[in-house]
Amino acid sequence: MVVGDFEIEMERAASTRTTVNPDQGSIKSDAMELVDDPFHRFLHSPQPLPEPRFNHRMGHSPRSSDAEKLLRESSIRTNRRIKFIDCLSKDDVNISELRKLAWAGTPNDLRAAVWPILLGYLPLPSNLRASTLARKRGEYSSLVELAFARDRQGLDQQIWHQIEIDVPRTRPGVRLWMQASTQRSLERILYVWAIRHPASGYVQGINDLVTPFFQVFLSAYIDSDPEEFDTSLLPSAVLNAVEADSFWCLSRLLDGIQDNYISAQPGIQRSVKRMAELVAPAPLYVHLESQNVEFMQFAFRWMNCLLMREISVKNTIRMWDTYLAEGADAFSQFHLYVCSAFLVKWSEKLRQMDFQGIIMFLQSLPTQDWGDHEIEMLLSEAFVLNSIWHNAQSHFNAK
Amino acid sequence: MAEYDYLFKIVLIGDSGVGKSNLLSRFTRNEFNLESKSTIGVEFATRSINVDGKTVKAQIWDTAGQERYRAITSAYYRGAVGALLVYDIAKHATYVNVTRWLKELRDHADSNIVIMLVGNKSDLKHLRAVPTEEAKSFATENELSFIETSALDASNVESAFQTILTDIHRIVSSKSLEQSADPIRGPTSDTIPVAIDSSTPATGSKCC
Repeated sequence: MVVGDFEIEMERAASTRTTVNPDQGSIKSDAMELVDDPFHRFLHSPQPLPEPRFNHRMGHSPRSSDAEKLLRESSIRTNRRIKFIDCLSKDDVNISELRKLAWAGTPNDLRAAVWPILLGYLPLPSNLRASTLARKRGEYSSLVELAFARDRQGLDQQIWHQIEIDVPRTRPGVRLWMQASTQRSLERILYVWAIRHPASGYVQGINDLVTPFFQVFLSAYIDSDPEEFDTSLLPSAVLNAVEADSFWCLSRLLDGIQDNYISAQPGIQRSVKRMAELVAPAPLYVHLESQNVEFMQFAFRWMNCLLMREISVKNTIRMWDTYLAEGADAFSQFHLYVCSAFLVKWSEKLRQMDFQGIIMFLQSLPTQDWGDHEIEMLLSEAFVLNSIWHNAQSHFNAK
Repeated sequence: MAEYDYLFKIVLIGDSGVGKSNLLSRFTRNEFNLESKSTIGVEFATRSINVDGKTVKAQIWDTAGQERYRAITSAYYRGAVGALLVYDIAKHATYVNVTRWLKELRDHADSNIVIMLVGNKSDLKHLRAVPTEEAKSFATENELSFIETSALDASNVESAFQTILTDIHRIVSSKSLEQSADPIRGPTSDTIPVAIDSSTPATGSKCC
């Protein structure tokens, strides 16, 4: 797609020279500056952002109406980017303005700066950012040091055992996640989080939730596909920063859904029950009931892994732009509306199926080809459901 | 849709990482995946096989091994007529935990459930940590059937499922001669899925 290429082109132009290693990926030349200041690239860049080079890209004479459409679309993108950068450039970021922008998706190259702000990991005033980052990363590295101070026998055996089993099973087959250096990072993130949260400890599926953060932060430092990247090539300061930032952002996310992972997983029980109530008015609900399908049989995983077993990491990243923009409780609240909309999406097919067909279908949904468009449709449906339900609630409450 | 004589619900249980999901995929799809994702909650698959001239459809629920999921997964024991309790022959701790899994079944499953102890990963001969004889005598003492399998090289997987389904079928068919228990309707069929425990309510029972 030309529009997509066009954006990549812009991002390439925006970045500075890179250390190219075609086989293993390339590290951006300003990676070290970026470690200290995630805003460095687009706020202090010596030359202004490049203007889109329409003529060059349109060289192969497309029909004029297509060209106009592409022009329009890319100018919308450019405008959105400019708005983001304006918003991020303020001495004191206006969080509601940033939320509004991020709800509709964050440009790829700005995400590593936007997500930490939305999560409250990075402070809004620009003059506090560098010191906060340095402090949090230092804190993380001492947590790691403390946790692994003694040899293996010093670790909490039960937690470590489960992490050891699951780390090689995280995104199996994806080069980034099959590498020893990435796996060691993931182990440290999961273990340190687990021992700091003894009520839940490590629960299977939390490993999946690390991957979007890690990939988003990693992509800020490199010029190639993060899933193909060899993390052992990174300077240790960069890898440490990616790891620490992933840890703190994961912690923030999990703070909002702790009940999902404590004994008996009451958060999930509640969410699944609530989701069934939300779907109840739909004709699909009657069919599921008639087939004795229980929501717990499929929706448990949707809650436990935040749909990450149902959609790609790329899809998840786009989805989290909106979740993070929605606010702290989106991963427990807005997520319910997303899950409801997600289920209803397959209504027509599901209503033709019997118990076995339904369960098997919901276990491996055909979302392989999903892109931003499908995710954005889902998010808007969830938004509508959310508003309808809230209006209804306040209507009932008023009576 | 309902081209079978019996529908048996089976659960796959055992510690994390012993190969439950691969046993299931080997049996139902003849697939093995060296690096598959962990199972979250439960996963489901079916396959029909011939047992003593009858078509038996196995409806198999594969469960997550981690302790934290126990509250969720134990709900699936209800109505199960068979359980494959899996350990890893190369990891002694997974064998030690078999006792805990048996207690789980006693607490949550029907009392007549047929249990088979399965020592998986028999291809890892050089790493064996649980002697076959030890497991075999443990199984005998606890009235479990026993088999060693390898989902990786496919050895004995077919046989494990065939054996447990045959055992269940024999018990069920001898029972139905003794007593004319009300057939229990499954959600998917008009034939007779069977629960061994005839005290299971005949109506409103959710097969799964």
